[in-house]
Amino acid sequence: MSFAIKRVWGVLPVVFGVLLLTFLLVHLVPGDPVEVMLGDSATSGDRAQLRAELGLDQPLAVQFCNYLKHIAHGDFGRSIHQHADISTLIAERVPATFKLALLALAIALLMGLPLGIAAALHHLHWPDRFATLSALTLSAMPHFWLGPLLMLVFSLWLGWLPISGMESKASIVLPALTLACGLAAILTRMTRASLLETLNEDYVRTARAKGLPERLVILRHALKPALLPVVTVVGLQLGSLLAGAVITETVFGWEGIGRLLVESIEKRDYPVTQACVLVISLSYVVINLLTDLAYGRLDPRTESGH
Amino acid sequence: MVLCMVVGCAKPPAHSEIRMALAQAPLTLDPRYATDAASERINRLIYRPLVDFDAHSHPIPLLANWQQTDALHYRFTLGQSGRLFHDGTTLTAADVVATYVSLLALKDSPHTAEFANISDVQARNDDVVEFTLRVPDSQFPARLIIGIMPARLIARHHDFARQPIGSGSLQLMGWKRTVRLQRISDHQQIVLEEVRDPTVRVLKLLRGEVDMLQGDLPPELVSYLKQQNGISVEEVAGTNFSYQGFNLQDPLLKNPLVRRAVTLAVDRNAILQHMLIGGSRAATAILPPEHWAGNAALPAYPYDPVQARSLLLQAGIKLPLKLVYKTSTDAQRVRLATVMQAQMRASGIDLEIRSLDWGTFFDDIKQGHFQLYGLTWVGIKTPEIYRLAFHSASIPPKGANRGHLQDAELDELIDRADWQAVTARAHELLPYVPLWYEGQFAAMRKDIVGYTPAADGNWDGLAVVARRKLNDKD
Repeated sequence: MSFAIKRVWGVLPVVFGVLLLTFLLVHLVPGDPVEVMLGDSATSGDRAQLRAELGLDQPLAVQFCNYLKHIAHGDFGRSIHQHADISTLIAERVPATFKLALLALAIALLMGLPLGIAAALHHLHWPDRFATLSALTLSAMPHFWLGPLLMLVFSLWLGWLPISGMESKASIVLPALTLACGLAAILTRMTRASLLETLNEDYVRTARAKGLPERLVILRHALKPALLPVVTVVGLQLGSLLAGAVITETVFGWEGIGRLLVESIEKRDYPVTQACVLVISLSYVVINLLTDLAYGRLDPRTESGH
Repeated sequence: MVLCMVVGCAKPPAHSEIRMALAQAPLTLDPRYATDAASERINRLIYRPLVDFDAHSHPIPLLANWQQTDALHYRFTLGQSGRLFHDGTTLTAADVVATYVSLLALKDSPHTAEFANISDVQARNDDVVEFTLRVPDSQFPARLIIGIMPARLIARHHDFARQPIGSGSLQLMGWKRTVRLQRISDHQQIVLEEVRDPTVRVLKLLRGEVDMLQGDLPPELVSYLKQQNGISVEEVAGTNFSYQGFNLQDPLLKNPLVRRAVTLAVDRNAILQHMLIGGSRAATAILPPEHWAGNAALPAYPYDPVQARSLLLQAGIKLPLKLVYKTSTDAQRVRLATVMQAQMRASGIDLEIRSLDWGTFFDDIKQGHFQLYGLTWVGIKTPEIYRLAFHSASIPPKGANRGHLQDAELDELIDRADWQAVTARAHELLPYVPLWYEGQFAAMRKDIVGYTPAADGNWDGLAVVARRKLNDKD
């Protein structure tokens, strides 16, 4: 319990750091939202008045304090360009990103774990070579290339799936598959390396010496400790999926938070950019916290400080 | 594979609506705020303004005829057509007044400043509105292109951005992920779907997930579409003006000989022939020759690397002349910059390309942090653009004279509204390299008929586009 409390406390400075960095980065990059909003014809007076109304004429420290106050009340403000409540915009997008990330993770686990286990159990034989080659190929394909390739094959040639959009349930398959491929490659290599190392441990040798069938040796004694580092990777990668689905969301027209973030950066919509980065960062922090807590449950040595 | 088989569907679902893929979704359907191309193009269909333009960009009556009663007063009389709002109420002079009064009261609208010359607007009866100006403005009717909104809803602070109510030929049925419109005349539904990736837009058109798309494709994809069975591509001459802007405060570029040399170092014809879609043509001024204020007599600058090199030497420049060209990250823009970079080498110009994200790029241009940059003026209708782009009183932040051109003769010509002389003087001063008017195209499935792309890229054709039944031989 004290381990969990310590970890939660440890997260607070990270959250503050995220808030501060997001605020500073967004305000220090070139580009003035007032210029973007008012265009070329506005007078200096109009610009000054709007800058004052938006609070952009205040010192950065004051603007940051105001920002924290609003965030504490759950108020992200209004979008400069869409003239809509940012909380509503975020609430519309977050579920789509989570759905996509979770399905991608599930596909990656279904692909990566069996391949990694098969590779380790048949070390230096054809399953190992196949898994290694597959992992290498999948990790070498960028999303912006793999996405259209999958569309060409599964949508245009085979006609099985919609090309993009979110109008049918099947629309999620191709973007999830695109995201899953890279992650499956990492999981394959991680599982293979970890299981190979575990299979050489003394306790596994002891289990074999006791005469246990090989299947039980692997399932009971080798697999669980071998999957511990995989849990960490899965946690980190889930965070990356939430933050890094930007290209995939853009290519497949998936209206998630990554796409909202890119659009807001392009248009210097400061409040939306801040809110998106904050939500993505907090998701990352929370997922890592949960991973740490799960790791502690799986391996009690972590909680006791060993 | 297994997932594909489980959830897979063989063909795209048949649809009765006409689906169009957009490179970018609209940001707001409130005409008092809209500045992006998609929003303005959809708003033209949802709302009706008082005034529109003919093929020569002369302002013509749409909702109302007008009469200039004296130098400062204009009287607009509403006609009979187009006066039914989508909520069933009738558009009256009070709605016109409410629209413009609310626009003038806004503090965060990019359009408010354009109407700062209006001192008063009054409804005389249900059909007549009178505008009073602070100073005379001969171009005033051409400015009244803001869609008219119901006064009753303006008073209630209705959310026009997401639930627009106008009197245009199409009404909004819904906007969640896609924009769904319905034509008033025949209830034909039209769906606009944002598909940002150009390759994906083409794939969706080929598969039939969308029926049409317009513009925003690289030329090689347009050529590819022309070769596909079942797809027709229509191209028309465009009016959107692309140019290379000079910074006249730069020690090198303030020399007219250097600007002339850079202009002669670009082979427009080669770019038009190999890099741009059909309908693109060489430009000599912001407004095209067919515009009422256009100047067809201006000669095009030729490609002459020998003379360019000699002009640079005459200017005392040690070759190669190193210049920095800023552009956005748009792939086609970067490609065009690369071609111009190669062409300029023959003239002794070493062009360095800096491709920046849009916000940074545009901020640099406004701040004057550039030597050369590439941009396009889109949808320009009035010669007032010359005041905005060239008058010494329009240097940022007061306007769009981004190159900081200051020429007393040109200022005087602009103030006199002598547009022929203005274009001739600008052609001589070369504050920019005039490049081309980009052609427009629409690609459609063969069962889509009646749609013609517009020269300025608007989507007015959606008011008449139809789907026909295909025969076997089609």
